[in-house]
Amino acid sequence: MFPSSTAIRVEHVTQRFRLIHERPDTLREVFAKRFKGKSSVHDFEALKDVSFEVHHGEMLGVVGVNGSGKSTLLKVVSGVYAPSAGKVEVNGRLASLLELGSGMHPELTGRENIILNGLLMGYSKKQMKAREQRIIDFADIGEFIDVPLKQYSSGMYARLAFSVATEVDPDILVVDEILSVGDANFAAKSFKRMMDFRDSGKTILFVTHSMQQVLQYCDRAILLEAGRLVIDGAPEEVIERYAPGTLASTSALASASEKYLASLRE
Amino acid sequence: MTDLLRDSFKYRELIWALAMKELTVRYKRSVLGFLWALLNPALFMLVLTVVFSTVMPIAIPHYAVFLLSTLVPWTFFSQGATYAVESIVMNSDLIKKVAVPKVVFPVAAVVSNLINFALSLIPLLLIVLIMRHPFYWTWILLPISVIALSIFTLGFGLFFATANVYYRDVSHIVQILMNLWFYVTPIIYKVDAFPPKFRWIFRLNPILYVLNDFRMFVYYGQVPTALSILGSFVCAGGALVIGYWFFRKHQSEFVFYV
Ligand SMILES: Nc1ncnc2c1ncn2[C@@H]1O[C@H](COP(=O)(O)OP(=O)(O)OP(=O)(O)O)[C@@H](O)[C@H]1O
Ligand SMILES: [Mg+2]
Repeated sequence: MFPSSTAIRVEHVTQRFRLIHERPDTLREVFAKRFKGKSSVHDFEALKDVSFEVHHGEMLGVVGVNGSGKSTLLKVVSGVYAPSAGKVEVNGRLASLLELGSGMHPELTGRENIILNGLLMGYSKKQMKAREQRIIDFADIGEFIDVPLKQYSSGMYARLAFSVATEVDPDILVVDEILSVGDANFAAKSFKRMMDFRDSGKTILFVTHSMQQVLQYCDRAILLEAGRLVIDGAPEEVIERYAPGTLASTSALASASEKYLASLRE
Repeated sequence: MTDLLRDSFKYRELIWALAMKELTVRYKRSVLGFLWALLNPALFMLVLTVVFSTVMPIAIPHYAVFLLSTLVPWTFFSQGATYAVESIVMNSDLIKKVAVPKVVFPVAAVVSNLINFALSLIPLLLIVLIMRHPFYWTWILLPISVIALSIFTLGFGLFFATANVYYRDVSHIVQILMNLWFYVTPIIYKVDAFPPKFRWIFRLNPILYVLNDFRMFVYYGQVPTALSILGSFVCAGGALVIGYWFFRKHQSEFVFYV
């Protein structure tokens, strides 16, 4: 289907930020800084020389403590950030659900945002109109579809964003924790959809703090520590390194969840 | 420059949606809604027209038409440029979440004001008819100047939108600049009011040519000189080349500063 078996290739990526309190924002501050003779700029590396690959049909989990660079990595892969150094190669159409959602506008209604979000991802209005009903059905937020987004709960927002990102049928799906605000029912439905996705040869890059999800759904995982990729391997290996001694209990949770999902399907 | 055209074409539906969003969101939850966009400049025009045709009469026949023939396009420029300058910062939420060519935001800002401009041609036409000013055939040539003015507005907007990402003071400075610029441009007056030996100074004003063309088409009903039309496109092209060059040079950094 694709010329290359690699869906995402990240090569030696470094992402540098200029920390905000060092950065003058208005002319007054610029002059103030010049005057005081301190114009020191502080660069901070949120990602340091990160390299890895994701193959088509693979679901890769990204784990790490708060501030380790997971969201930054997903933004680089999605093309929101141009990396300070290194290279990112993406083969296929990508849809992403980043930290605080995707490209939506709080003043517009859910229905209007479906179109806007699709247009931002490069789809046409016609394509989005054709998918509108399926998106609404999957999001299942009732009459709120015609209410401005600013009146949504975070779960409702996540439902809509997830529905749009998956209904546009991308080749690669990038998801940053967004499902953590969905209720059990929606989470189950979403994971089922992601599994179907992966089984049809699509690729998923997935950030989570839940080791159970990593174990249950991911084919492979990577661990970030202060911006460095420290391990890239099987979920069990990565969990053992990240949270030593918890593998047994995580496995138990994962199999319980597996049973629950199976019971839902019946 | 070719990628500006390519991106604008590829994302034309997005640009249109953003322009409509701009118009609807700004005036949501207000009774008159989108009419406010027209009302503000309309009132300003009314004041100017009343002042200069009755209170402090100027010896220019059909002064209202004389004035509006340049004030309408000027308003498009000043408002379009202002929106464009703020567009990157205003859309920071989207810029932080999706990889989309950033140029769509200033382009959409200009397009939304182009819609306003098109609507404000209706009152202009009404005034022409009410005052029994001739409705010249040269109106059909207006699109030439609309294109030149849109390009000029976009170029100006791109340049200052980029600067505004780094220093938010820029949008305030642009406001002041617009006020000054309005008075040094022959909109409410004629260049002829000045002694001939000073008139060359006006030619340094890059927006003069295109506004002059508008006035020729609507008020005088004449085709402007080739030099004037050429001048309008040279200024517009120059503004776009400089503005887009600056914008492109910095656009990948915007996301870190908005
Ligand atoms: N736009 C930015 N400007 C400056 N620093 C940033 C920016 N975005 C992130 N950082 C810094 O980069 C580091 C990594 O942030 P990131 O959001 O990628 O972490 P994370 O692994 O997603 O954390 P969490 O688990 O809390 O979501 C943090 O130290 C953060 O302060
Ligand atoms: Mg994060």
